[in-house]
Amino acid sequence: MNPWLIAVLRFLAALGLMLLNGVVMIYMLRKVLGRLHIRLGPMDNGPWGMFQTVFDVLKLLTKEDPTPRVADKLLFFLAPVIVFVPSLMAYAVLPFSRTWVIVDLPYGLLFIFAVMSIIPLGILAAGWASNNKWSIIGAMRVVGSQVTYEVPMLLAALPVVMMAQSLSLSDIVAAQSGTFLWILPRWFAWNVPALVLFFIAGLIEAGQTPFDLAEAESELVAGFSTEYASMKFGLLFLAEFSNVFLFSALMVTLFFGGWQIPWVSPELTQPIAPVVFMLKIYLGIFFIMTIRGTLPRLRVDQMLATGWKILLPAALAWVMVTGFIIKFGQMFVGPR
Amino acid sequence: MRIYGTGILKSMLIAYRNMLRKPITVQYPQEKVELPERARWAVALDYDEEGQHKCTGCLACVRACPDYVLDLQMTTAEDRSKHIDHYRYEIGACMMCGLCVEACPFSAIKMSHDYELARIDPDTLTVDLLTDVPAAVPKRKTPAVEPAKSAAEAPAAEEPVAEAPAAEPTEPAVPEGGADV
Repeated sequence: MNPWLIAVLRFLAALGLMLLNGVVMIYMLRKVLGRLHIRLGPMDNGPWGMFQTVFDVLKLLTKEDPTPRVADKLLFFLAPVIVFVPSLMAYAVLPFSRTWVIVDLPYGLLFIFAVMSIIPLGILAAGWASNNKWSIIGAMRVVGSQVTYEVPMLLAALPVVMMAQSLSLSDIVAAQSGTFLWILPRWFAWNVPALVLFFIAGLIEAGQTPFDLAEAESELVAGFSTEYASMKFGLLFLAEFSNVFLFSALMVTLFFGGWQIPWVSPELTQPIAPVVFMLKIYLGIFFIMTIRGTLPRLRVDQMLATGWKILLPAALAWVMVTGFIIKFGQMFVGPR
Repeated sequence: MRIYGTGILKSMLIAYRNMLRKPITVQYPQEKVELPERARWAVALDYDEEGQHKCTGCLACVRACPDYVLDLQMTTAEDRSKHIDHYRYEIGACMMCGLCVEACPFSAIKMSHDYELARIDPDTLTVDLLTDVPAAVPKRKTPAVEPAKSAAEAPAAEEPVAEAPAAEPTEPAVPEGGADV
């Protein structure tokens, strides 16, 4: 087959997955938040309101798309693209099964972090180009939070890399197959401090509720997306949900064995591996959404303090501790 | 001992417990909650057994209304019988306090359970409760107490004569109300 055709098909698959995820996740968010509030959520438009987000997307597509007169026209147009494209690129290295990877990069983890760190740039561009005080405050908060989460997140992923001895996501998943102590699945989730640190840093990264300062609805209208309408807003919104999906996927891949089912051999799991992976991701998303419905928002200074004073030193210390444990393990027990 | 993070865990537990509960809301246009018996919504007329309105035009409700949303105009004929020209009610300004209903001595109005008060046309915010009908003559189940009757007859002595066909011997409050108009 023509390699270009394969590349295009893979790109389209990633795009389709991202769009579909957005639609499903918005519906899911509204349902989950509804049940948390002891109400029903969307119920019209299809059985149990299932087509609600489809209609929402149609509405976004057909809406008028105004540009503020004082906005920086070029940046205003480019910002949703800058936010959307890196989020789409990050799908490239997610291992859905042993063979279902768009590109199996040997440094996939680094690739995801590198690509995801472009997103705040796009958000800053969106806030700056909007020429609106709410937008610029929201954008500045995103930049501040990026400085806060990026280093701890990388450092929290580092113990996993040290245990798996690889930066490739496929290798990291493969390193989590089997069991230890005869019963426990060999997940890196047993490295609990790393998991917790990664989770908190990831919540900041995905802009989820305890740290959703960027578009704090009750303070900043809609943050950086205040001036956006129609499908430009749709792209920003989609990228946000896609980030949550990516964060959950990354968490599943790094800590919860990826597409593998515990106690079942990878060969047996292979046919349904993408389904297992998606189920695990959606469990993570469900957890994130319940957090969104439960916890209040932190102030900016609280978020920065959490990042700089707690996450960063703790992540650094835990990298050292894990390193020591691995080294001593190798010295006294033998490799792995 | 205070352990950091337990508050968050507790709140998450409460959230998950809430998720297991049945929704307390209903699908509004399709299903509706049953209102409590004494729920106060739009003021409506209360009719007697024969389906006649009971408003005597005493204006007690109009005076009781703190928002001045009730508007009752009537003319008194030469035989002192009263005719209600219009009895209007401004739904848009009503706060459903129920003071008019409490003030009404004849239970001519009630607080209905009609809570779907949204209107498309602002003109329909004014509701005509009564238009161009004769005022009701209060029917007393028990004969009025004698001293009260004699006291009432002193200022309006010829009134029972004027109301002869209705054959109602007492009507103490109405002449004063009529005199105000």
